[in-house]
Order: sequence, then structure tokens, then C-alpha cells
Amino acid sequence: MVHDRMPSPAAKPSILSKRRRLIISGLLLFHLLAVALPPLAFQTTTVDGPSPLIDVLIRPFRGYGEFLHLNRGYAFFAPDPGPSHLFQAALTQPDQSISEQLYPDLKQQWPRLLYHRHFMLAEFLHASYWPPGPPDDMFETDRAAAELWQQRRARYEFIRQSLVDHLQHENGGRHVALRRIEHGLPSLSNYQAEPIELSDERLYRILLDQPVFSDQIAPVPVEDAEQVSTEVIPVPQTDSAAEESQ
Amino acid sequence: MTRGTSGTTVAQNNSAAAGSYKESLSKWGDAWERFWFTPRRPHLLCVMRIATGVMLLYCHLVLAGSLLKFIGPNGWISNEMAQQLHDGAFGNRDWARSYLWRIDSPGLLYAHHGFTLFVTAAMAVGLLTRITVPLTLFLQLMYLHRLTGALFGLDQIVTYITMYLAVAPCGAKYSLDAIIRTRLGDRIETSRRLAWLFPDSTASVAANICTRLLQLHLCVIYLFGGLSKARGETWWNGLAVWYAVSNYEYQSINMTWLSRYPAIISALSNVTLFWEVFYCALVWPRVTRPVVLAIAVMVHGGIAMFLGMITFGSMMIVANAIFLSPDLLLRRDELEEDEEQAAEVQLADDEALVASEVELDRQLQNPDLSADERDKLKQKKQRIREAAERINRRYQALKQREAKYEARVKKLRQREAKIKDLVEKRRARKGKSSDSDS
Repeated sequence: MVHDRMPSPAAKPSILSKRRRLIISGLLLFHLLAVALPPLAFQTTTVDGPSPLIDVLIRPFRGYGEFLHLNRGYAFFAPDPGPSHLFQAALTQPDQSISEQLYPDLKQQWPRLLYHRHFMLAEFLHASYWPPGPPDDMFETDRAAAELWQQRRARYEFIRQSLVDHLQHENGGRHVALRRIEHGLPSLSNYQAEPIELSDERLYRILLDQPVFSDQIAPVPVEDAEQVSTEVIPVPQTDSAAEESQ
Repeated sequence: MTRGTSGTTVAQNNSAAAGSYKESLSKWGDAWERFWFTPRRPHLLCVMRIATGVMLLYCHLVLAGSLLKFIGPNGWISNEMAQQLHDGAFGNRDWARSYLWRIDSPGLLYAHHGFTLFVTAAMAVGLLTRITVPLTLFLQLMYLHRLTGALFGLDQIVTYITMYLAVAPCGAKYSLDAIIRTRLGDRIETSRRLAWLFPDSTASVAANICTRLLQLHLCVIYLFGGLSKARGETWWNGLAVWYAVSNYEYQSINMTWLSRYPAIISALSNVTLFWEVFYCALVWPRVTRPVVLAIAVMVHGGIAMFLGMITFGSMMIVANAIFLSPDLLLRRDELEEDEEQAAEVQLADDEALVASEVELDRQLQNPDLSADERDKLKQKKQRIREAAERINRRYQALKQREAKYEARVKKLRQREAKIKDLVEKRRARKGKSSDSDS
């Protein structure tokens, strides 16, 4: 029963004049290029920047595509499905105890669509991440790259600060700290050898905020979360750890 | 002499090549015309309008519960931050603008959201769709550009479907517009504005353009989705599906038992990869289309049920329905009407072709014709004969139908006569009984 006809010559002829058909054809071509070029630009962009050809071709369509939300790459679960990225907020309560909240959290955000919006926010924070820097000598060797670095880092910091400000606003101005967390995936062979819960704590990893150059690398993370160098803000503590410190 | 002959042959070959190129170009032009400008019934689009409208309404309702958290001045991404992400503050300046960046008043935001809910509900029920569908699209874009950072595939697909529905008469069926149109009666015939505002369900070029655009957009989505996957390793070595089902944040039903069947995991990964890459080619031929669409239902159904994205999965299935024929939703009389129209057009074409036969025969008498030209003319004559046969068959079919109608009319007349006879007999009986009573 699935039979969409490629309209045959026998089908009802067009009722539009030739001039109108030409104009519409032009508009259709424009739209189709605006649909196809953004994912092509996405595919052809590498660490060296965008493809010079596609970058020129896409120019007339850029604004139109951006406004209509056509500027997408459509890379769902690609190139490989990877770990999830979450963020954890530590809220300092009036009695100075610290409570923590992980985002996203199915128990807190319902229905699933709302949960997914929070999940996407956490992924957005991770995707925006750029390490601290650049090293001073980069301004002498490649000033443009150094400025781009600064810009990306500033973008990440502003996004993170927006999330922090929101949580502070929601919690009566209390102190809030955030840290990014990666929830890894068990490999198939490991899982076959030892099936573990997908929420097993061994699969979670705190993502450190540290410079990428060796002379500036932060201390290696240790088991004790309190000593982990993460973002410039204090590391969230568990309730028990907070009690101990008091 | 020899040189002269070969020169003529080369010139003939060049001329033949130019002719065939011109012919090919003309065929492409014809195909383009047929692809875009053949009118199509809007029934399928009307069903998609309901599904998309309901989904958008659901999205806005969910957002309503956390409105200020997402689009308030102090939302997760604040108004100022949302604006800076698009206005070039961090390098990238784009046209994804939204007036929602500038609304700080919670009251105004809730009023705006109430209006959005009303417009989206109107789209779903098909009220003033010529206005409410484009308006829904505009409002949706404003929300998308404000919700930067919290968006995913669902937002893309509902926006694209709404975008294409905005140019189609998608309120012609299953809508309040259709009811209003019926009630307006003759006024529709006299007012072009009313006829546009409350469209009928006849085939239109706009419905076809909407359908074709969404079909091609889906092909682009799957092609680049597939190509992106092909750049990875796990879609090739077959572990991708494992990494998808073992992702705790996506998981809605635990599918880790699949680890016991690595060959199935591998097959699912590879099928997904090849299906996405070749979707744009295999969805068009009638033979492969059912298979491609069946896989689409399985892949997106799987995402909906097992990967916690029931909204996204179900909308992708709805989008894939654009490849179904609107004939599936037509009533019998509408189908007959379409077939009749198609037959009429075919008949007119065939008659024009047959009329050119005399001229063709005259050309064939020309002794200077080359073998190639003669072959072409013969092929054309063959097509004329086929057209003549079709006309004959059409004529026979019409004759048969006429005979059927005549037989039916005869039967009806006989039945009418019988009824009249019965009525007269009854009257006569009544008359007799009343005479005897008196």
C-alpha cells in the first residue's frame, strides 16, 4: 500500500504560469541549498577550520539558515555514541551544610521532555568547555589563535556563570558551586565479564578544569574528592564530608 | 572524397550528440516540472498538521511548568547570555534572533506563552490554519532562539514539519476550517479571500511543494546523519548500539541484556549505518520504499521506547509518513475523481500525439533521412501507436461505463415504475374500501 506516485505525465498538469514556475523553482533551489549546505559545512570543518569552498558557498544562505534553524549538522549519536556529560551543583545551606544536586535527574525533572532539556543543558556546558589559557607565549607566536582561545574560554565561563546565577536566584542567593561530570559507558567486553549497574560510581569521572600545557597541569586527581582540583569554585562535598569538616 | 564523407559523419555525430544532450536536458526539465508542480491532495499533510500541532502543544505545555527557569531573565541561560550567544559577543554573530531575549517581565512572558499555547492549539485543531500555522512557526523559532543550549532533535523536526506545512493548505481536512467552509456554502465560491482562508481538499501545487520539500529535507538529514556515523568506528565494528543502550542518561528500558547477543548488536549498528546513508536513494523507488520506511519505524520506535526520547522518535516516524501516498486517506469518490482527471489528461496528450501521425508519415517518406533519424521517427511512430491503443482502451472503458450507467438507469426506472404501480394499487384498494364503508 505504500505507493507514492512519481507524478506521471498523465497526472493533472500544473496550473501555474511558466513565469511563476520559474520564480518558484529559483526559491526552491535557494531553500534546498540552505538545507544541504550547513550539514556539509559541519562535515567539512576540521581543526584547521572550515573548508574554504563550502565557507564561500554557504555565505548567501547563512542568515536564512540561522533564522530558520537549518544550520544543523544532524550528527545524532555520531561519529560514535559517547559518554554523557552532567553537572553537579553544590548548594551551601543557611546552616553551612552543603547539599548536592545532579543534573539531569529523572527523579527531579518530569516529564521526560523536561529531563531531556536539563540533560541538553549539561551537554551544552560540556560542549562549550575550553581550558584555561592561553599560555603567554602564544600571543607572540600566534596572536589570532590566542585571542580565539580567550574568546572560547570566556564563552564557557559566561555560560557556567549563567547556570550558577540561575541556581543562586532559585535558592535565595545561597552560594553555589558547579562541577562537570562525565558518566562513562562500560565497554561490551567489560560488561560481559562483569555486568555492573550503569549507575555504578566507578563509571563517573569529575572533569577537571585545568590548562592543557604540561607546566601548568593541575595535580593528579586523588581518591579524596576534597583534594581534587576542579573549577576555580570549591568542590561540592557530600553531606558526610561536610559534617566531618565542621 | 573520403575526407568529405568522414567530415559529414563527424558533423552528423556532433549534431546527434547535441540533439541527445538537448533532449536529456529537456527530459530533466520535464522531470523537475512533474516533481514540483504536479498538484497533490493535502490529506496526508492535514494528518501531519494534527500530529505536529499536538506535539508542539505538548512541548509548550511542558515548558509552561518551568517557563521562567528556561526563558525568564534569570533562567538557566539568562536573557543576556542567550543574546550574547548570538550577537557576536563571543565571536559568532548570527541571525537566530528572538524578541524573547528582551522580555524581563514574568507576567508578560506568561501572557506570551498563553498566546503561544492558544495559537498552537488552533493549529492542532485546524482553526484558521492559513494564519495559525505560519504564526506557530514564527513563535516556535522565537522560542528556539531563546532556548539555545536546551534543544535537541525533537525541536528540529517539529520546526521543519511546521515550516513546510505553513505553505500548504493543511487545514483543508480534519479541521475546524473544513467545517467552517461547509457552513459558509456559496459564499466561498464568490469570495477569493474566503476560499484562500478556508482551503478545499482538491489537489494543489502548494501541497505537492510542501511534500517534496519535507521529503528532500529528510533525505538530507539521513544522508548527513549516516555520513557522520561513517566517520566513527563503532558504527562499523558494531558496538555503537551497545554504547547507545548502555547510556544510563538516555535509557528508558534496560536493554543491557543485549550484551549476551553481540551479533545482534553488531547487526543493528551496521543496518542503521547503511540505512541512513542510502535512505536518500532507496526511499524513492516503490520496490525499496516499504523496506526503508519499515526500518525507519523500527529505528525511531527503538529510540522512542528504549532511549527515552518518545517525543523525538514518534515525530521522526510522523515525518517519514510524508513518503506515503495521500491516496491512502482518500474517500472512494475522491479516488475516482482523481483517476478520472488523470485519464482525461492522458487522453488529451494521446490525442495530440495521434494527431501528429500524418506529419510523421510525411517525414518518413523523405529519402534523405539518415538511419539514425529514421530510427527516431520510427520510435515516435511506435509511441503514437501505443497512444492510439490507450485511446481505444479508454474508449472501450467509457463505452462499458456508459452501458453500465444505462443498465443502472433502466433498473432504476423499472423500480420507479414498480413503486408507482404499488402506490396506485394501494390507493385503488383504499378507495374501494372507503366506498364499501360508505
